[in-house]
Amino acid sequence: MITIQTEDVDIGKMITAAKQQGTGAIVVFDGIVRDDDIREMELEAYEEVALPELEKIVSEAKKTCNLLSVDIIHRIGRLAVGENILVIVVGAGHREQAYEGSRFIIEAIKAGVPIWKKEIRKDGDRWVPGEHQHGCGAGK
Amino acid sequence: MTVRIRFFARFRELLGTDIVVDAPKNKGLSDLVKDVAGKNQEGYDAIFDEKGAFREYVILMQNGKRVETSDAPAIRVAEGDEIAVFPPVAGG
Repeated sequence: MITIQTEDVDIGKMITAAKQQGTGAIVVFDGIVRDDDIREMELEAYEEVALPELEKIVSEAKKTCNLLSVDIIHRIGRLAVGENILVIVVGAGHREQAYEGSRFIIEAIKAGVPIWKKEIRKDGDRWVPGEHQHGCGAGK
Repeated sequence: MTVRIRFFARFRELLGTDIVVDAPKNKGLSDLVKDVAGKNQEGYDAIFDEKGAFREYVILMQNGKRVETSDAPAIRVAEGDEIAVFPPVAGG
């Protein structure tokens, strides 16, 4: 399941659903609205492009890192401090693949999926600047 | 011909989103974005430098496909095109 949605998600159910024959490790990445002296976070997506981009990243991660399953929920809209922004559940036969796949996916999302975050701060709003790319094999 | 322009994030706040324009045939992509962005000086300045070139951080898409901003002056828009203009992404 790969979705962009306003609603929160039950991570426990995602983990249960990810288990399948051959699964030996599941890595969960949960990106959370951090309390950086902000009131809320506002997220916006170019959904018609972001969804196919997410699907492409998942397809590449599955192939490169030999993953059995990947589920991604990226939330948009207004989120309070402590809320889930992005949940990635990666299933693989072994922990190395699951960790590597999870890292590949989050870095690829940050580098190339058209989604933006704005911090709603007590002293004014601020768009969060983008980051640079990492991934499987990056820096080796 | 009708072309749709979509701005995102900070550009959306300054220029609006989902703007439908009636463009003449063979209109250049750069000129089209300049025409629309020119309606708000702050929005224009966020996207273009003082020489009228796209700022290096601006990302352009034509029908969901990335277009290099350096190629944009030579690219012609077509009926029904969707042009997206946005700053660097920051999801996750």
